[in-house]
Parts: sequence; structure tokens; C-alpha cells
Amino acid sequence: MSWRPVKAVVGREVSKLFQQRARLISSMVRPLIWLLVIGSGVGSMLQGPQQEGYLTFLVPGILAMTLLFAALLSALTLVYDKEFGVMRMMMIAPIAHYWIVLSKLIAATLTAMVQAILLLLLVLAMGLISVKIALNLLLPALLTAICCAAIGGLIAVYSKSIDNFAVIMNFFIFPVFFLSGALYPVNQLPDYLHYIVVVNPFSYGVDLLKHAVPNVSTDFSVMTDVAVLIGFSTVAILIACWQFSRESIHEPLFQQATSQKK
Amino acid sequence: MANTLAIKTEGLTKQYGQALAVNKLDLEIESGQFYGLLGPNGAGKSTTIHMLTTMTAATSGNAWIAGQQVSADPVAIRRAVGLVFQDSALDRTMSIDENLQFAAAMYNLAPDEANKRIDELLSVFGLQDKRKRKLVSLSGGQRRAVDIARGVLHKPKVLFLDEPTIGLDLPNRRSIWRFVEQLRREEGMTVFLTTHYLEEAEACDHVDFIQKGQLEQGGVPEALIKQLGAYILEITTSNPVNITKQLMPQFGTPIREDEDLSFKVSADDVDFYQLQQTLGDAVSSMQWRKPNLNDVYLWTFCDPEQGSMK
Repeated sequence: MSWRPVKAVVGREVSKLFQQRARLISSMVRPLIWLLVIGSGVGSMLQGPQQEGYLTFLVPGILAMTLLFAALLSALTLVYDKEFGVMRMMMIAPIAHYWIVLSKLIAATLTAMVQAILLLLLVLAMGLISVKIALNLLLPALLTAICCAAIGGLIAVYSKSIDNFAVIMNFFIFPVFFLSGALYPVNQLPDYLHYIVVVNPFSYGVDLLKHAVPNVSTDFSVMTDVAVLIGFSTVAILIACWQFSRESIHEPLFQQATSQKK
Repeated sequence: MANTLAIKTEGLTKQYGQALAVNKLDLEIESGQFYGLLGPNGAGKSTTIHMLTTMTAATSGNAWIAGQQVSADPVAIRRAVGLVFQDSALDRTMSIDENLQFAAAMYNLAPDEANKRIDELLSVFGLQDKRKRKLVSLSGGQRRAVDIARGVLHKPKVLFLDEPTIGLDLPNRRSIWRFVEQLRREEGMTVFLTTHYLEEAEACDHVDFIQKGQLEQGGVPEALIKQLGAYILEITTSNPVNITKQLMPQFGTPIREDEDLSFKVSADDVDFYQLQQTLGDAVSSMQWRKPNLNDVYLWTFCDPEQGSMK
């Protein structure tokens, strides 16, 4: 196995990220809207020191949001490429098919990190965090990015077409984001929501990011966060690879083609 | 011996649920051959190619490419074959160069090696000055040419072309065939072609027909055509039953489609002018011509009694 095909797949995704400037800019605008609009709005309902702290509390949350959107959308190019035929170019290549999934997830992690670092630079410029905190956030961000890419990979190998995109948005991205403790401390949630947060792997990414920011309350220990993130990512990536190899050797991609003809 | 053949299959079968896409296919194709698998849409041509290139697994049966069993090491098979898919596999948002560089990297070609090969292929296709152009700005024929270039970047032993000229106009189809011919001549690769434009397959060394997943033995196109008869006689008449009765003793059973009758004429000394006068007003049109591969196909698959496809 040589790295050249992997580098080609990753390179294609990264160069697309920089070519599509609107995508890059919007990926910065979304978290800033959350930070400035929701942060200031909700923050104004809080009192005294809590009010000032809310914006800082939100930094790990919106950083996690950026990672989630970026990694998930990038992993979903597995479905895009299938729809537009480019996947054939990868599938006919002399590499094992699971390498296509792994390369796409490496690309997803990388593009997510690029966007996270851009956001950190913006937040840094706004004076919400110090350089030291920004640096401390990098490693937790990487683990969260991998976790989000793994979630994306799992969704991608099980979705048939990109028509499912709105479904994916409503049923995965929003619940995963809102039920994660990114916007509010988990321990204040009612019981039934609390359980959902606990089974949501993304919550542990958010929590790990919170650990990097002083004076922000956390819900789990660093050990738990790291263990869950690594454990979940490993299992999810294995399932994604297995399902993709199986699926490509069997029907979907070509069944579509043949059923159109009949 | 399987290992001297470019392609060999034994009882290769693909089933999608209840539907039998390909049924017990037995093929032996020698190295360097230009082989054509002909048949209508949905006959199982693409499925056969996909099984031979590891894009889909066979339900049962075996296949070998250049002596290697297809199911044993898919990666090695993919290294040995090139496949030009029926639908383009290129990224329309990227340039020709980016597409081919990407494909070359997927084949693990070193950049300078890839560059040389891309130069070489684009000049065969006359696209060398369009290398930096985005794919969207190319014509259908040019895009298809890039698709073929992509399929042969790694100099495969066996090249599969799945309906390479579908949707193209005549000049473009001609130039695609010129390129394929040149590639075959210069690189000596075995070519496995599927098409339903049968006249295009007349350049093949061997053709077989496939219908509803079932293979019908063919042969060398020229011989098949010769074997079919000297002429094809086509008659349009308002009274097909009578005309059939009248001509059957001489020419045998025709293929009938409503008012159109088609006879195969074995003797090459038939006086058609005489015949035309004999039939007189009973026919509204009559013509005779040399048979082609289309006729071979029709006579292979038509049930003359019914005048319809089997």
C-alpha cells in the first residue's frame, strides 16, 4: 500500500476547500453569528459575572460546532462523489476500498482542523481567549474532529443519495449539536435529555474542549472524554470501512445504474 | 489453459434478487483480441464488465483476468484492467489535467511518469492544448476521450469499454474508434467492448451476443455476415401474409414487423428486377442490400415464426 492515492484524495478535498471561498467564509460566519447573536442575547438574560462568562463558555461550543459541520460535510462527499460518478475513479483504482473511506475521513479531519484554526484566530483577535488557551484547544479539537468525521463516515456509508441531505441535517447535525452541552451545562438539563447527551459521542468532544478553557464547568473527566472519543471513533470507522467495502462489492452503486436502464 | 487467456469465465452468474442479470456465462478471450459483447440495453453487458473488473461480485461462477482469479485478489485485478464506465467517472469541476493527475495518483504513478503519460495520451486524442481547461467547457466527445485516457493511464493488460460511444454524434464516434484502434496497435492491449451500435463492432476480432443475461455464440463478424446470406431483401406490403406464402419456397421464413418483411437471400444470383416485376403492385416498396452485423443480430435473436424478438 502506497500513500500516493491517499494523498490524492485528501489533496483534492483540501484544495476544494480553498477553491470554494464562500464555503470557507460561511463556515466562519455561522459560529460568529452564534457567538455574537446568541451569546449576547442569552448572555443578557444572565446576571453579573455569569453574563461575562457566557461568551467564553460558548467558545468551546462554537468551536465544536465548526468541527462538527466541517467534518460531517466533508465526510458526506463520499455520497456526493458517488452521485456524480467520481467515486468510480476511486473504486476502479488498485487500492482496497476501505482506503477510500479512510482517505475521506483523513480529509474530513484535516479540513475541519483548518476551519477550527481559522476560527480560533478570529476568537483570539476578538480577545475572548488567550494564545495559551487557543493552543490548549488544538489537541481536543483534533480528537473531536476525528469523532465528527467518524460520525459523518457512518452516515455517509448508510445513505443512498444526497437527497437525504435535509434529513441528515435535521436528524443528525442539529440533534447532535443541541444535545451535547455545547450551548448549556449538561447537569442542568432534565433527565431524559441528560441521557441523550450522555450517549451522544459529540458531547465528550465538547466537554474535552471545555476542559481546555479555565473557569468553564465540565461534565465528565478528561479520561472519560478521551476514552469515549477514541473508542467511538475507532468502532465507527471500522463499521464505515466494513459497510463501504461490502456495499461497493455488492449492489447500490451499480444497481442504480442498471435499474435506470430497465 | 486459463493463464494464456486474457479473460476466461466459467458459469459466471449475477442475480439481483429475483432477476437474473447474467446467466452462466462462459467466455474465453485470447490476449490481444478486440472482443465485442453485443446486445440491447439491460441485456447484462455492464453487469458482466462489472463482475470482471471487481466492481460487483458474481453470485456464482468464476472468472480469470490474465490467469488471475478475479475474486482472489481484487486489487491485483484492478491493477491489470482499465475500465471506461458507461457514465463519465470524471470530476466536472476540475480541469483535464487535474482529473488525469488525480487518476494517475490513484494508480500510484509517480508525478513525472504521470505527466509523460498524460502528454502522450492527450496528443493521441488531440487535446494537448486543452490540458488546463475545465471539463465543463469540453464537448461530449472530448470528455469521453478524457474518460478513455483515464482508463488507460496505467497501461492495463485488458481494457474494458462499456458503450464508449453512447450519446455521441457520428464524427465523435468515428474519432473515438480511431483512438481505440491506435491504442490497441501501439500498446497491444486486449479490448473488451460492449455496444448496441452493432455496426461499430464490425472491426472486432470476435463478437458474441447477449440477451436477457444469456450468451449466444457469435464469431468473427465478417464470417457471421457472410454466413447469414448474400443479400437481405426488404419488402413493404399491405398483404404480408400472401407475399410470405409466395416467397417462402424460394427464400425461407422472413422476419415480419407489421407490413415489413425481411428475407435473407443465400443465393447471390437472384434476379431482383425480375422478382420486382412478378410481385408488381402487391408491394409498396422493395429493396435489397448486403447484410451487416445488425442483420446477424436480428436473425440470431428473432424468432422467424413470430417475427418478434425471442
